[in-house]
Amino acid sequence: MTDANPTSATGREPHTPNTLPISAIESLCSDVEANVSRVIVGHDDAIEHVITAILGRGHVLLDDVPGVGKTMLARSLARSVDCRFRRVQFTPDLLPADVTGVNVFNQKTREFEFNEGPVFANVVLGDEINRAPPKTQSALLEAMAEQQVTVDGTTRELPDPFTVIATQNAVEPNQTYELPFAEVDRFMKKLTLGYPDADEETELLGRAVGHHPIDSLEPVTDLETLVRARETVAGVRVEEPIREYATRLAGYTREHAEIGVSPRATISLLRAAQARAVTDGREYVIPDDVQTEAPVVLSHRIKTDSRDRDGASVVEDALEYVRVT
Amino acid sequence: MSTESRGRTVGVDLDETIGPDPFRLLTLGCVAVLIGSYVHVLREVTGVVGGTQSLLLLVGAMIVAATVLAQTIRPRTATIAAVVAVAVGFTYYFEATGAGVGTALTASGTIVSDTIALATGLPLLRMVEVGLWTLGFAPGPAFLSWYLALRGRYALSVLPAGFALLFLVLTGDAGTTITLIGTVGAIAAVGFGELERRGGSIAQADLLAVLFAAIIVLSLSVTFLPGDDSGPAFADGSSGTLEGTIDTADEQSGISGQVDLSPEVRFTVEAEEHSYWRTGIYDRFAGDEWVRSGQTEEYDGRIGAPPGEHETTTQRITAETELGVLPGAPQQVGLEGPPVRHADVSSHGQPQPADTLVEGDEYEVESAVIDPDPDELRAAGTDDPEYVTDEHDYLQMPEDTSSEFEEYTAEVTEGAETRYDTAAAIERYLRTSKGYSLEVDQPSGNVAEEFLFEMDEGYCVYFATTMVQMLRSEDVPARYVTGYTTGQKIDDDEYVVRGLDAHAWVEVYFPDHGWVAFEPTPGDAREDVHNDRLEDARDEGRDDVDTEESEDVPISDEADENESDDERDDEENGDDEENGDDTDPDDDPPGSDDHPNDDTDDGSGVDDGDGDGDRDLSELVTITREQLAIGFVALVGLVAGVRRTDATTQARREFRLYWHGRRSDPDADARRAYRRLERLLAREYRPRHRAESSRQYLAALSAEESVDPRAKRVAEAYERATYGGGVDREEANEAITTVDELARERLPILRRFR
Repeated sequence: MTDANPTSATGREPHTPNTLPISAIESLCSDVEANVSRVIVGHDDAIEHVITAILGRGHVLLDDVPGVGKTMLARSLARSVDCRFRRVQFTPDLLPADVTGVNVFNQKTREFEFNEGPVFANVVLGDEINRAPPKTQSALLEAMAEQQVTVDGTTRELPDPFTVIATQNAVEPNQTYELPFAEVDRFMKKLTLGYPDADEETELLGRAVGHHPIDSLEPVTDLETLVRARETVAGVRVEEPIREYATRLAGYTREHAEIGVSPRATISLLRAAQARAVTDGREYVIPDDVQTEAPVVLSHRIKTDSRDRDGASVVEDALEYVRVT
Repeated sequence: MSTESRGRTVGVDLDETIGPDPFRLLTLGCVAVLIGSYVHVLREVTGVVGGTQSLLLLVGAMIVAATVLAQTIRPRTATIAAVVAVAVGFTYYFEATGAGVGTALTASGTIVSDTIALATGLPLLRMVEVGLWTLGFAPGPAFLSWYLALRGRYALSVLPAGFALLFLVLTGDAGTTITLIGTVGAIAAVGFGELERRGGSIAQADLLAVLFAAIIVLSLSVTFLPGDDSGPAFADGSSGTLEGTIDTADEQSGISGQVDLSPEVRFTVEAEEHSYWRTGIYDRFAGDEWVRSGQTEEYDGRIGAPPGEHETTTQRITAETELGVLPGAPQQVGLEGPPVRHADVSSHGQPQPADTLVEGDEYEVESAVIDPDPDELRAAGTDDPEYVTDEHDYLQMPEDTSSEFEEYTAEVTEGAETRYDTAAAIERYLRTSKGYSLEVDQPSGNVAEEFLFEMDEGYCVYFATTMVQMLRSEDVPARYVTGYTTGQKIDDDEYVVRGLDAHAWVEVYFPDHGWVAFEPTPGDAREDVHNDRLEDARDEGRDDVDTEESEDVPISDEADENESDDERDDEENGDDEENGDDTDPDDDPPGSDDHPNDDTDDGSGVDDGDGDGDRDLSELVTITREQLAIGFVALVGLVAGVRRTDATTQARREFRLYWHGRRSDPDADARRAYRRLERLLAREYRPRHRAESSRQYLAALSAEESVDPRAKRVAEAYERATYGGGVDREEANEAITTVDELARERLPILRRFR
């Protein structure tokens, strides 16, 4: 999946049965956004980012303090689409089999049967992923990269679409297993939500007291539409100037940080930009799309050598100094 | 990584350091130009006296030797080799001139003074055996310069050839143009050499080009200064007087085009016998001028008399103006009087004053006049003494003299068996076949050949030059002499000589007799022209054209008489008949005014319609080759300067701001339209930051200023053209029209009229 060429452009052709008109996706996105906003107050940017990540065939890492609505965001998104949603609460004693599933001996048939784990879903919420040991983390990460799981030597395909929304807790660093750098790279985006501002929190409280709105959330679209929307996004036009611009941005991060972004990051960036272009009603990517996506797509993949600078500031500089055309 | 290589731009980056090789080639080329410039000067010398082939071979051999030795011997060895080469060359020169090396060593004072004389403006052509001298002089600097250049010692390499050129500049042989070429070559060699050493770039080289253009144009424009007729680049060939041309300098006699006649009285002569009054003798012909070779010595009381029978006569000469010559009847053998006490005598036997004579100076000349009759001369034979055959260039002809010239001369002199008959035949031929006119265009190249083959008329300088060369091609020793004709006879033994009497004629050597004068210039025609000029001057009321006595005496016809050649009188009579029509230019009917040139034609009886055409053309086309060259250099400098300052790009940008230009495909047009919009906005608000997208730029501007909303549509068209797979013709046109409108609204003046 990650090796697919994001630049193959077919956007100009009339939509085939597998694709949707751009306007349809645009309205679909705003529908989903409106739906989610009934539950999540504020965080419009984050909602958009998660939606574009799903359309761009990526996975999202939400990184924040507990209780700001990370899980709620993931759940409400999953519910807005009529699809299979599973949640895995990562704990220190969680085993890989708890994620992928396990072969169980059926006494009745006297055969081993595969018990699918929570990863067999369209949207998987990996809660507090950094609380599980690396072995368990990697079980999920393999699924993310390959869209398949291997149990006892048998490889099983995961459903399509398959999106992982993982959250990680920024507090209690001594009780967590920091995600390895290589694995963070597999998340298309890393988002932080932050606390809502005072007005938003007041409104949130008004909604959440009594019946939680998530219970009444109805799906606004179905799985098939989502598949076709993702197909359409993959065909969004990315012209050479854009590809060169992304290359220049990547080059800048490599020159100005200890470890810059990988080509996988550049691919992710362009896929996110494709999705962003569609949500804006365009069938082609413009530099602004890249610039909007670059901070969330690139920052978490950059390792700096000084404490004063983090990945976000490197990306900020890149956007400030790298020429657009 | 592949992404890195993609980021690198392909194409010629002008600021990029280019390899050393082009600069090395340029430097070597410049050193070659420098060597070539001084060798060229020497080649011009050998072109007169012979030896061009040996010179070029020698220099070529030196270049080859330097190329071969550049990698093998050390600079010190090379320097020694060059010095040895020069020493060998000059030893040979001294041996050949008969002076011997011993003389060179013992008489070092003479050598030093000779060198000083050369370095203070004595032209090389004055030297005896100058051909050998050039062969000694040429190879050393060429070898050393080329050797050092190949070794990469560019600054040093300029020195040997540079000094050689400098020496030739000091002798006055190197003209402005060749000096300039050599100098620029030297500077360029140093400049490019430095660029090579320090790894310079093309951008720096164009700075060099600007400097060169400035050097060349400025230094050549110096000769634009008024009053400098000799400015080589822009010499307009303006005519001086005949006299001034003949006596350009005391060792040279120039040949120019159209000349004027000065009616001013120069001197008066009291003499028993009328004669031509000789003032100069020249032996070496350089194609466009005459040069006197050999040194002068101080007058020691006696000048060598002719070998044969002669009569001695005395003349008393009184200068009426400042006089830089000592006229006297040939052959002058003695001088007396205060002004001539320190006179010099040339190796040909012609006295010259040490100081200019002033008005009223008087001196006496004793002359040994020979008057042999033709039969004696026919019997004289050809047994010339060494003084004639070896020590002077009385048989010299320029190397480039064509074989046609010699063949034609042989034709003219066919049947002449003796030296006298040869001379008489040539004299007769010239007097009858060419007309007399002072209004001629100076020919380029060998004057003798040009006059013989291309010109129909000329004046004494042309006749005499051509005759000397024709005689020499028949191996008859001859020389070109200048002076004055007899002048106006105002009393039995008194003559008034004016500037317009200036003249040039020919002397031919006859063993046992000496130098005998011949007159190839048709006498009558010359006299008419000269007398007319005097009458004009009298009519103008000039008071310097007559002495007290000369005014009342009719202008005499003495000048045409030749004192040595009896046959001449007959020929002259023939001329009289030929030119017999007394048509005076002034008597022409008014109707013939349409043909102003006919006047002179009638006088000489020669049709020169072609010559007129040439003259008219040359007057119309005033651009000379030199001017073209300078114009070209200035243009190169301008181009380099423009490139340096990027002025064309600026101008094009400015222009493109208001005019879209030819339309190409819609995408390119939309992009170009947006670029123009960006420049418009940049001028009005601020330029787009490089990291800003078009949207962000417009949004940022709109947030602060009221940007024309049409700009946004242009930006959208640009976006679609660049990122969205293209725009159609209509959209592109709309973008262009929008930007055109926006631009015109911002035109400084036009917008007022909207």
